[in-house]
Amino acid sequence: MAVATRGTSSNYLQRAPSPSGLADVLDVILDKGLVIDAYVRVSVIGIEVVTIDARIVIASVDTYLRFAEAVNRLDLQQTERAGIEELRGGGKKDETKGVIEGAKEKVTPGRGNSRKERSR
Amino acid sequence: MALATHGTTTGALYVYGFVRGGALKRFRQEGVDGADVTVVEGEGIAAIVSPVRTTDMKMKRRDLHRHLGVIESAFESTTVIPCAFGTIVESSAELEDGVLIGARDDLLDGFARLDGKVQMNVKATYDEEKLLREILASDPQVAALRERTRGAGEAGYYDRIRLGEIVAARVEERTEADTARLADALAAHAVDVTLEGPGRGVALRGSFLVARKSLARFESALEALARAERPLLRFEAIGPLPPTAFAASSVNSRG
Repeated sequence: MAVATRGTSSNYLQRAPSPSGLADVLDVILDKGLVIDAYVRVSVIGIEVVTIDARIVIASVDTYLRFAEAVNRLDLQQTERAGIEELRGGGKKDETKGVIEGAKEKVTPGRGNSRKERSR
Repeated sequence: MALATHGTTTGALYVYGFVRGGALKRFRQEGVDGADVTVVEGEGIAAIVSPVRTTDMKMKRRDLHRHLGVIESAFESTTVIPCAFGTIVESSAELEDGVLIGARDDLLDGFARLDGKVQMNVKATYDEEKLLREILASDPQVAALRERTRGAGEAGYYDRIRLGEIVAARVEERTEADTARLADALAAHAVDVTLEGPGRGVALRGSFLVARKSLARFESALEALARAERPLLRFEAIGPLPPTAFAASSVNSRG
């Protein structure tokens, strides 16, 4: 990942004024920001990005080991790909499920803990 | 109000965020779907918007960057309350009545709370090999199981599972303690903190809302922390960013 460095960048602290890679951009904007549907009808576009929830992972050494390998490859690739080809009415649940063995969490922008309804 | 549009338009608006009225008029940044970015003003508040040209707008990867780019450009010159990615309202009339008027007090409170603050995103990840070595060295049970499973082949299958379970549990305990310690060290120089859930190999992933006047202190604390924690942990910091992780609580906290 290319990170614009500045100031005190070192091998133990990497600095960037702004996110450049997709994963970092997702970190900053996905599931973040004001949700205004308490005030007005909104349609939040249903982009669903698969992320990996390591808490579910550790069912057995077998899955742990397989997952360890998979995560290293998947973590970014998966995000890049899921990264945003699919949209609206989102729900490619089944396609991705097998890939990361159910250890995933769906993230819908702005709807972290709220209901998943969409207007219109 | 008249929006600069090209081609057919739905009347719907993509909303990037809110600033105080009069703070900004024009944006050079290209908006989501390549549309021009402008503002809808009312009651002393301005919504940063761009027209939605079709009802089944396809968002692409670059639209994530555009969304953030517009918010960042507003943030350079004024206090901004960022909206969630993908927020679209039916019309500028709905936006004015529902939000600029309807949520006026909440938005004004939000501006006041976010004035002079920036967001710093910090992530600390383990050097996994070093972490596992530490666990191995500090836990005789782990070391014993490792010895027993080495070279045992298929016969050691259940021992390997047991080993994995124990190591995983130690990693989790260790991570939990580290997360709290690291977050506390940085929170001392922040006015608000949101931490992300645990992730594999991640000791800390969070956003810190920092007053601009405390930013230098926050950065030195971060530098000192990262230096003290090396080489087991490696830190990444991004910012100063617009307060995306703190926008929600500025109006309707529902979490």
